[in-house]
Amino acid sequence: MKNEIKISAKGVQVFYADKHAIKNVDVEIKDKTVTAFIGPSGCGKSTFLRSLNRMNDTINTCRVEGEILLDGQNIYDPEVDPVQLRAKVGMVFQKPNPFPKSIYDNVAYGPRIHGLSQSKTELDEIVEMALRRGALWEEVKDRLSEPGTGLSGGQQQRLCIARAIATQPEVLLMDEPCSALDPIATAQIEELINDLKENFCVVIVTHSMQQAARVSNKTAFFHLGDLVEYGDTEELFIKPIDPRTESYISGKIG
Amino acid sequence: MAEKHIISAFDEDIEKIQSTLMKMGGLVEKSLFDAAAALVKSDIELARKVKEHDQVIDSLEEEVNIQTVRLIALRSPAATDLRYALSFIKVASNLERIGDYGKNMAKRSLVMEPSLITEQGSNSLRRMTKDVILMMNNALDAYVRKDVELAEAVIIQDKDIDLHYNALFREFLTFMMEDPKNITTCMHLHFIAKNIERVGDYVTSIAEQAIYVATGEYPSEERPKLDTTSLTKVDPKSVS
Repeated sequence: MKNEIKISAKGVQVFYADKHAIKNVDVEIKDKTVTAFIGPSGCGKSTFLRSLNRMNDTINTCRVEGEILLDGQNIYDPEVDPVQLRAKVGMVFQKPNPFPKSIYDNVAYGPRIHGLSQSKTELDEIVEMALRRGALWEEVKDRLSEPGTGLSGGQQQRLCIARAIATQPEVLLMDEPCSALDPIATAQIEELINDLKENFCVVIVTHSMQQAARVSNKTAFFHLGDLVEYGDTEELFIKPIDPRTESYISGKIG
Repeated sequence: MAEKHIISAFDEDIEKIQSTLMKMGGLVEKSLFDAAAALVKSDIELARKVKEHDQVIDSLEEEVNIQTVRLIALRSPAATDLRYALSFIKVASNLERIGDYGKNMAKRSLVMEPSLITEQGSNSLRRMTKDVILMMNNALDAYVRKDVELAEAVIIQDKDIDLHYNALFREFLTFMMEDPKNITTCMHLHFIAKNIERVGDYVTSIAEQAIYVATGEYPSEERPKLDTTSLTKVDPKSVS
């Protein structure tokens, strides 16, 4: 439901060995909403995003403290299976990274390993639904067997979004999904993000403040590991409260 | 603006627009000052100059608008910068309107017949003009320095302008009732007084912009309105 809290972070601290990357962050992320994380490089926004589906687990020196509740359950509980978690919390990366497989197999990969379909027809339906939601169906429906890597950059990124959607996640994390794309492909992804929020809780990390302003409902500004300010996007861009936010969005600190 | 933008041209753009606005403010001030002087001294030449002068003010407003559109298009201003960008256009528009009232005062000064009433009225109007000029300078200072306190003081000062106008309104009304020959002169004097009162309102609007730029909010209180002339009526029995 709209405006319901999907993810609730409480006292989250992230360390890489001795480096304190995220300092005591509390934040509540709403469902069916686009939330943008902004901040200068090294501010911890990507680290925090990655902690939302335990992508940091693979880094040995990384340590997460505090609680991150997804629908009320702490995702760092020992009984939580990170693979299942990531099916529920999908991720799209900066550079489009389709598998060296056909367009069809790229999208079908997740549903197959998670056993989401009983038959070929069912799998076909899932693939079509995911590609439609990824706003790519019309462009690729006649060449599903061609390699995903043969698509344009923007199409590849939409393929990755479709791939993430195929496992029927509830949350979509996007780590600078447009930074490798041209303005037209960027606009298409942004339009897609706007559609995606009807069904998903979308969290996007972006270096482009204009992009955050264009696509998000809520914006969180991180600086040196602190969550400095979190609020409605338009308030934050017109009337930020913290002087550090003001400086950053007006281009006065990097 | 203690902190500088990383892109220094951004600061230069903003400073340039501010300085165009300040130039406009200076010309508008001169226009009001000269128009009032022309009125008092029946100086036709000075009045004509004020009228010509107004074109320069108009073209500066256009310049501010062009520069601001450019700023928005090229720099994507946010937060205070964004609020400045919006206010540039409004403040320029306010100053342009004030300039128009100066021009109008100059125009009227050309048609006034010399008389004791003209002399008295003109001197009163000049005092009122001086007050409103002082107020305008404070409003522009508050705007550039983002000085909320000063801006609030300006908004309160507008009260005095309103009171001054009320007094003149009654005075002119009395002259007109005394002798219909005074009507032409008093009508012109009254229009000038009303215009100066309007200038006060535009100056108040500039002060409000200063508060908006500084805080992101418009002053919530109703601005003091002491112009009660719209409720004033003439008692026919008092006319003999």
